[in-house]
Amino acid sequence: MSDAPIIRVQGLHKSFGKLEVLRGLSFEVKRGEVLAIIGPSGSGKSTLLRCLNFLEEYQAGEVRFDDELVGYRRTAAGKLKLDSENTVRRIRARMGMVFQSFNLFPHKTVLENVMEGPLVVQRVSRNEAELRGRTLLQRVGLIDKIGAYPPQLSGGQQQRAAIARALAMQPDAMLFDEPTSALDPELVGEVLEVMQSLAAEGMTMVVVTHEMGFARQVADRVMVMDRGEIIELAPPAQVFGAPESPRTAEFLRRVLH
Amino acid sequence: MDYIWQWNQIWDYRQVFVRGMQVTVILTCWALLIGLALGLLLGLMRSSRLMVLRIPAAVYIDIFRATPILVQLVWIYYALPILSGVQMGNIASASVGIGLHAAAYIAEIFRAGIASIDRGQSDAAKSLGMGYGQAMRRIILPQAIRRMVPPFINEFATLMKLTTLGSVLAVNELLHEAENLINNTYRPLETYTVVAVLFGLMIYPFIWLSQRLEQRWKARG
Ligand SMILES: Nc1ncnc2c1ncn2[C@@H]1O[C@H](COP(=O)(O)OP(=O)(O)OP(=O)(O)O)[C@@H](O)[C@H]1O
Ligand SMILES: [Mg+2]
Repeated sequence: MSDAPIIRVQGLHKSFGKLEVLRGLSFEVKRGEVLAIIGPSGSGKSTLLRCLNFLEEYQAGEVRFDDELVGYRRTAAGKLKLDSENTVRRIRARMGMVFQSFNLFPHKTVLENVMEGPLVVQRVSRNEAELRGRTLLQRVGLIDKIGAYPPQLSGGQQQRAAIARALAMQPDAMLFDEPTSALDPELVGEVLEVMQSLAAEGMTMVVVTHEMGFARQVADRVMVMDRGEIIELAPPAQVFGAPESPRTAEFLRRVLH
Repeated sequence: MDYIWQWNQIWDYRQVFVRGMQVTVILTCWALLIGLALGLLLGLMRSSRLMVLRIPAAVYIDIFRATPILVQLVWIYYALPILSGVQMGNIASASVGIGLHAAAYIAEIFRAGIASIDRGQSDAAKSLGMGYGQAMRRIILPQAIRRMVPPFINEFATLMKLTTLGSVLAVNELLHEAENLINNTYRPLETYTVVAVLFGLMIYPFIWLSQRLEQRWKARG
């Protein structure tokens, strides 16, 4: 049961109008696994991540989370129909998402940001939400910023608050879309540290990243994407040491100089 | 420049101005209420992903913005009773007419305010599992409303000035009262001056408030 993959993607196709962005991807993510996704700009990494929690609709194939089809349901006739908002929301609530641009709610304090999901979506008591919020903010080193508004924080602090906000929902998996790409170089480390400790605790993570160090040291497997396809999916030692595809080798040569 | 201003006669008739202002305020309040409620609804429909909601809202907004309000008012007063059998009083007709007109503009203010909020905000709300209504109420609207305040106050000032069109439906608002007064006193210059000053006094506080709010919100970021 716990050996079953928590995320299962099969033949996933996604287009924006005529532009085909994902061309039939299939892969699985096991419970507790850390999957890093790398690849050139425009290869579809963000789009893939957004399909996993149905922030984007997809045109063909399947995304399954914990065996449940994400975003669609099968009718008696076997056709796919858009699922109800409530079902989609229930699945989304089980996946935390962290964005490149943080997307904290600027009109709420750091603590209110972190309490928002538990309060509004899970309807836990205010005490419970605040307890979760304080515990998580302590953990990401922001306990002294609890009453601050997001625009008053550094990028690194904002991203750590955003991670705490996602964790407050006690998700079964976390999706990260280039969480450190908008940060000044000296602030990258503090965010990666939080992510590394999450991974060490056994959190299932899918991380789109340009940080090759993180992919190499923390990820269990690395997926390389190019033009909407998976061109490599293997443990980091193999991807970085002996890539199968010449396109992977070419991409790595460029990013690692 | 040998015009001799005569204010004492105007002062004698001050009750007329007070009466007119009362009607103007009543007209403004009703029109504003209708404009806000319908405007919010239309603005949300206009921002919807569903065509069945978006298209009717767009048609309404375009029609009311593309035709003169004077025609709309007269049409509602004379044509609506014939078509629907509903006969409204003068003040009600004017309130509804100005309200329906303002709704089109207020809808655009709501739509633009909602559209100005970064998509990342609704992405973040959705990724927590919030529904459309929750995300709107708790995340998008509270931020959008700050950006709507200046154009909204602007529209409010416009609306209050538009109530003077009530005079064509024989509503005794400030301007209409003033015109009646001129027929007795033959002091148009003084009377219109007072009308202008009174409108200025009613509208300016809101403009001032809007500027203060804008400054305060800018300061907090
Ligand atoms: N909402 C959208 N509408 C139309 N085209 C889009 C949209 N979002 C992404 N695209 C296009 O889809 C392609 C893949 O975009 P995506 O953001 O998934 O790439 P990426 O791998 O995340 O790139 P980056 O490393 O620059 O973030 C690009 O060509 C992009 O222009
Ligand atoms: Mg991207």
